[in-house]
Amino acid sequence: MISVEHVYKSFKSLEVLQDVSLTIQDGEVVAIIGPSGSGKSTLLRCINLLERPTSGHIYVDGVDVAAPKVNIQQIRQKVGMVFQHFNLFPHMTVLQNMTYAPVKVLHMDAKQAQEKCLALLERVGLADKAASYPATLSGGQKQRVAIARTLAMDPKVILFDEPTSALDPEMVKEVLTVIKDLAGTGITMALVTHEMGFAREVADRICFLDEGRLVEDAPPEIFFSTPKSDRAREFLDKVL
Amino acid sequence: MQLDFGMMTKYMPYFFRSLVVTLQLTAASLLLGIIIAIPLSLIKLSRFRAVRAVGSFYTSIFRGVPLLVQVFVVYFGLPQLIGLTFTSFQAGCITFAFNSAAYISESLRGGIMAVDVGQREAAMALAVPYGSMMKDIIFPQAIKSVMPSLVNEFIGLLKNTTLISTVGLVDVLRASQMVVSDTYRAFEPYITAAAFYYVLVMFISFLGKQLERWVNKSDQR
Repeated sequence: MISVEHVYKSFKSLEVLQDVSLTIQDGEVVAIIGPSGSGKSTLLRCINLLERPTSGHIYVDGVDVAAPKVNIQQIRQKVGMVFQHFNLFPHMTVLQNMTYAPVKVLHMDAKQAQEKCLALLERVGLADKAASYPATLSGGQKQRVAIARTLAMDPKVILFDEPTSALDPEMVKEVLTVIKDLAGTGITMALVTHEMGFAREVADRICFLDEGRLVEDAPPEIFFSTPKSDRAREFLDKVL
Repeated sequence: MQLDFGMMTKYMPYFFRSLVVTLQLTAASLLLGIIIAIPLSLIKLSRFRAVRAVGSFYTSIFRGVPLLVQVFVVYFGLPQLIGLTFTSFQAGCITFAFNSAAYISESLRGGIMAVDVGQREAAMALAVPYGSMMKDIIFPQAIKSVMPSLVNEFIGLLKNTTLISTVGLVDVLRASQMVVSDTYRAFEPYITAAAFYYVLVMFISFLGKQLERWVNKSDQR
């Protein structure tokens, strides 16, 4: 379970998050949406401590990630992240990209890690790309590898930071299909996205952020049909 | 005026022995320099201003003092200070290593900063510890942009090692000087030394090109 409590984050004088609180249950899929600059990505990045909250608490399985002496590595083993720009390691093959952290961090046997990662590649439909370098893959393929790389760590939670925003339109679907297949497998997912249709389809809840505040937190059928706030209504008018 | 390169042949074995010394000094200094430069570049990238200041102070010293002065300080000055005498080879190695570390660490720092921040974030998100991240993810990518300046540094270092002849190490330059005093002819010995250095530098440039191609391999399809 992830519990965000009264989180503030500011960069210099810019207040990016203001008093954000929300809870994500185990196995739940939460879509975080909102206009650009509303703090969605920052909120996500606070959960695995790529950003440190200015104040407030974020509990991952009861451990406060913002506590000064927290074991960050331990939390990051449980919380995977998929990035907008994939961030594959260009000097490693697809398989090396995937086996690196399990072997290095979880001390998994190399042979075992390879078998596991090949199975994961199969699952995202890229078994034939194991020996390829990232530079030879399309955007959609890169992102599927990145998702598989994250899965190789057996995370309890995966944070998706605009996973399809850097993709050509024809590649969005293949990535969304992979993400959709993950929903409901027991992995907790927090997903920052601009794909409203997708959010509506897979998310258990929609969190709407605007100017650093959590304005709405509702099931998709309610949020998309009867948004409570003017801000959400305006936003939906623009994007739908 | 007549030139007589024929008389140089009998000194050739002597030149080649001195060439080994020059090569040993250059290689040892470069290797040691790189070893010092790695932690130094990380110091320069520290989150803490005070730590960074140490790094830039180090570099300012070695940049701001002429290399020959540095050689003299190490060879003549340090023994008086710490009571330990160095051979001229050791003194050269120490001076050139610490000196090139100052320059190499600068280009390493630039190379590390040029690696996309997403690489670092991906490694962090995968719970990869700092040391492994630097060694396996960041350095291998940084080295690509650092390689050309590393080759330049290697070449500069090779040429700078001639300064060590001033404290008596028989490198290629010193060897030629001795031939001069032996034969009372200056042009042939010095031109021979020049040719030795020139060929070496050309060879290093060639190796550097190959090395560059090799580290950029994964970019190719």
